Amino acid sequence: MDQSEIDALLAGGGKGSKKPEPPPAVPPAASAGGGSVGQDASGHVIAELDTVTAVTERESNKVMDQLDMIGQLVARQQKLITDMMRHEGAQAPGVQQAIHEVMSAGKEIQDKVFEAMDLMQFQDITRQKLERIVHHLRQIHDYIVDLLGTGLKSEAERPSISHTIAQTGTTPDENKAHADAVVEAFKSKKKG
Amino acid sequence: MKILIVDDSSTMRRIIINTLSRIGYTDVVEGENGKSGLEKLGQGGVEMIITDWNMPEMDGLEFVKTVRGQNPAIPILMVTTNAAKEDIVEALQAGVNNYVVKPFTPETLKEKIESLLG
Repeated sequence: MDQSEIDALLAGGGKGSKKPEPPPAVPPAASAGGGSVGQDASGHVIAELDTVTAVTERESNKVMDQLDMIGQLVARQQKLITDMMRHEGAQAPGVQQAIHEVMSAGKEIQDKVFEAMDLMQFQDITRQKLERIVHHLRQIHDYIVDLLGTGLKSEAERPSISHTIAQTGTTPDENKAHADAVVEAFKSKKKG
Repeated sequence: MKILIVDDSSTMRRIIINTLSRIGYTDVVEGENGKSGLEKLGQGGVEMIITDWNMPEMDGLEFVKTVRGQNPAIPILMVTTNAAKEDIVEALQAGVNNYVVKPFTPETLKEKIESLLG
């Protein structure tokens, strides 16, 4: 995130984001028409959270681009080394051994690049955790609207939320055994 | 084999595409919610679907139900953060063939895809 984006975020506008801004949860008319401070604040926080989500998704994709590039460079290096192995001057056992070691190190780099890409799943999980917070903020906002009988309720369509996201960690496959057991039980029941 | 990936997170779509390419599946089409997933499916040639659950406009569950109304046979794998038992059962009842909870390892995705393509 650069300084202009931080400034925009602090101002609540998120203008630095290239992603289209989601519609405000509190329509401007509601704020202008005497909506309470609480209503304005919740709309402001929702806009901020949307900006954070958009910026982190964009930055995550930049990291993915870099990882992709590293993967491609290593693949190119591996090809060059393979060609070099066939060269007459590279047939000495010591040279072949060294080349194999370089190839093996290259493979390790590629594996680590793939591992790093897989770890980027944290971005989607964090986004969904924020989405859950937004969901609760909207409920509070709508409750205040009902209570005061003024302003408009949230209308912008949001993704559905995961009710277990708060417990979701970043360890891959932490729920695999549980999900597999439920799937197996369902299939057995269906067969029986 | 053409695989349709439906997820509103572009990062997650990239992760799934990367995993698929490492296990030999490079023919991929993408949708960012259930609605665009249906559009891509309508263009033809899709032989398997990997879909998220929580998406705007049309979520994964509604998407699966709509697909099943048109195509009872196409393999569908749901990849989502929804880990509650009742969620998994609801997805299976809607017509999902198998279920992966995020975050996942590439080995798990491979295992599930191969079991679906059996």
